Amino acid sequence: MAKEKVYMHAEKQKHSFEPKIIAFVCTWCTYAGADLAGTSRMQYPANVRVLKFPCTGRIDPVFILKAFQQGADGVLVSGCHPGDCHYIAGNYHARRRFAAFRKLLEFIGVDLDRLQFSWVSAAEGGKWVEVVTELTERVRAMGPMNEFKELALDEQWSGKLDSPELKEAYNAI
Amino acid sequence: MTQAIDTSIYSAVTSAIQAEAQRILSEGQVSAVVGYAPARRKGSAQPVVITEASDAGKLIFSASCVNNLAVYLTKAKKEIPKNGKIGIVVKGCDLKALVGLMGETQLKREELHIIGVPCAGVLASTFQPDKALTTETIAPKCRECDAQLPQGCDFVPPQQPVTQALEKKYAAEIARLEALTPAERWAFWKEQFSKCIKCYACRQVCPFCYCEQCLCDRNKPQMVETSPRPAGNTAWHIVRAMHLAGRCAGCAECERVCPMDIPLNLLNRKMAKELKELYDYEAGFEIKEKGPLSSYDEKDDQSFIK
Amino acid sequence: MQNFISEQNLNTLLDKLIAAGKRVVAPRLTAGTVLYEPLQKAEQMVHDELPRRSAKETFFPVCEDIMSYEKEGQQVRLTDIDPNSFPETILVGVRPCDAAAVPVLDAVFSWDYRDEFFLKRRDKTTIIGLACTTADDACFCTALGLSPADPKGSDLFLTPVEGGGYTCETFTEKGEQFIASHGSFFSGQSDAKTLPLAQPQTDKFDLKKVKAWLDEHFEDPAWDSIATRCVGCGACAFVCPACHCFDIVDEGTEKKGKRRKSWDACGFWKFTHHASGHNPRDQQPKRYRNRIMHKFKYYDDKFGQTLCTGCGRCIRICPVGIDIAAIVEEISKK
Repeated sequence: MAKEKVYMHAEKQKHSFEPKIIAFVCTWCTYAGADLAGTSRMQYPANVRVLKFPCTGRIDPVFILKAFQQGADGVLVSGCHPGDCHYIAGNYHARRRFAAFRKLLEFIGVDLDRLQFSWVSAAEGGKWVEVVTELTERVRAMGPMNEFKELALDEQWSGKLDSPELKEAYNAI
Repeated sequence: MTQAIDTSIYSAVTSAIQAEAQRILSEGQVSAVVGYAPARRKGSAQPVVITEASDAGKLIFSASCVNNLAVYLTKAKKEIPKNGKIGIVVKGCDLKALVGLMGETQLKREELHIIGVPCAGVLASTFQPDKALTTETIAPKCRECDAQLPQGCDFVPPQQPVTQALEKKYAAEIARLEALTPAERWAFWKEQFSKCIKCYACRQVCPFCYCEQCLCDRNKPQMVETSPRPAGNTAWHIVRAMHLAGRCAGCAECERVCPMDIPLNLLNRKMAKELKELYDYEAGFEIKEKGPLSSYDEKDDQSFIK
Repeated sequence: MQNFISEQNLNTLLDKLIAAGKRVVAPRLTAGTVLYEPLQKAEQMVHDELPRRSAKETFFPVCEDIMSYEKEGQQVRLTDIDPNSFPETILVGVRPCDAAAVPVLDAVFSWDYRDEFFLKRRDKTTIIGLACTTADDACFCTALGLSPADPKGSDLFLTPVEGGGYTCETFTEKGEQFIASHGSFFSGQSDAKTLPLAQPQTDKFDLKKVKAWLDEHFEDPAWDSIATRCVGCGACAFVCPACHCFDIVDEGTEKKGKRRKSWDACGFWKFTHHASGHNPRDQQPKRYRNRIMHKFKYYDDKFGQTLCTGCGRCIRICPVGIDIAAIVEEISKK
């Protein structure tokens, strides 16, 4: 008789910080790859929230910005391997666009370790698990992404909370 | 050491522009000429649209003719009469914007009569318009100009500008910022963007911001907060820089007009530098059908993609 | 009569006020640009440069929260900002053109609706004006009947004197109270000669004639020649000490967010854009016309005042060199 119980899921490790990861994926490859990981009962961190798009070519850089502004600690963009695009060249265009966008973010002062791009095909459930796990652990080690959240709390210069009364009034809301 | 910059050709250039405008208007070649005219303040100039040959004498060119007039030919400006050909006075940097607009099929070459200006440089926005042009008062963009003599115009006055090599301030500042840590860069831009009051002068003067409705003016869905607060300001400037990447012609109008002195052209120059390195693309005098971000190569670098 | 304060005493007084937790706002270098900002130390104050933005933002901030909302299930919780919580403020080193705009704004903010956000801040602020010793050719306060030494709008007015320090005059109860409560910093010495003041070079406008023309020429080809060049940004309105249009937006998620009030400008295409898609001011000259009309006609019709103090900021920063002084002068000659 087995002395140890066999759990369906590995015991969940407790962490002091659970990063929020937003994944923008294309429906044809990466979404199917993530689905494969699920149906194959592979384990990967539940920190990732997947948003499905027709194609990586549809993923506007402003979505990444919005994700960070709304509280994401890390962002993943993933789609079909070059040559596999359902729309022939969407991922080629996306590749150039994101190559430029990450340079811009880097120049503004965003740590690029929080932003990951990958090609994950419908057959690569294992790669999906690997990419998501690696990004989650990397971002967990980095801690929360505070830059954009702080901006949302900051006031314009002249409206700065520089008096105790005003601060109290603002905190009350 | 501050040295004077020779602008002695500008009076001859002015006469040549006037004669050309007079000719094309009286011969009926164009319906209007967009150029510069003197304004009230000493030494100042402002854009003007003339439709009568008798007004050609109003046109000038001087070191305070800073505007990129190409903006008046875009969809964003519907006020200019557009029946037939239009004449336009352009410096080399402005011409690059016209060329970019033609590449994006916003303008047709045959509908323009381009009067190019041999240019030794214009004044920086931080100086009074009556200041003499020197190595100190010259606009930062002119320090790295490679387009003093516009090419492919319908008319260029024969004068040759005297040019001298100047210290490249954008390149130096970009290098300084690149050497900082991400947190330090973030602090730099945060302070700069916090000054933004969302007057959208940067957008309105940009020849490439010709969208009928700007993404940032839309509220369904609202991608960028409209209120002038640090969050929305930062998003706006990132979106602006991204939408201009691979399109910006480097006229630096955004930076010149910013009433809060935000160094916006740094973002544009940085993106231009990266796109040159990545895809060997540069704004120039030759009309290109596709920009670097509207085309691709199967062999593009993908070292950043897992 | 105590009518002199030395440079050093002014600094010590301001430092004392700051240490006592008062909000002291003055021209200050902020990320490379001089703006009216709260001081941390008196020595940060810039004495000889017109700030890029006007002093109106002390009363009428670029953007402010006016309400917040939070939704929990079917419950919606709304919380107002309490205007009584605004801090007592000393606005010092205010240029005469900026100070003069404040009483002009009082008229509209206490008109058919009393705007507590503006008025409460106004109540709690003491304005200390400072005469100008320099001007450039964009300055035209004299053309509007003001001057580099005009105390309009100031509770207390400082004029720099030879050898340092300032003579000061009080014009309101607030000003007198200020001197009374900080008497030890002021002295009676008043024989010093004031420094030569700035002399903006513009002839006085005949505002009656300007208004008479505006009354009759809502439709006129002159608007096209004046404003075809306008590119439709809001820079002129945002740096103006008197422009006061604002927009109200709700920002946040469906669960939680804030209602915010922020500056708006008649130069924007969106300003009069209707939900139907129609825009009554469909071309830029029509929008610019509103700027001139509002300043020199509508505000006069309603309140008997001019909505311009001649600070010249819009002239200096206009991307396309539109010069309101030249335009008004041209109109007055029609």
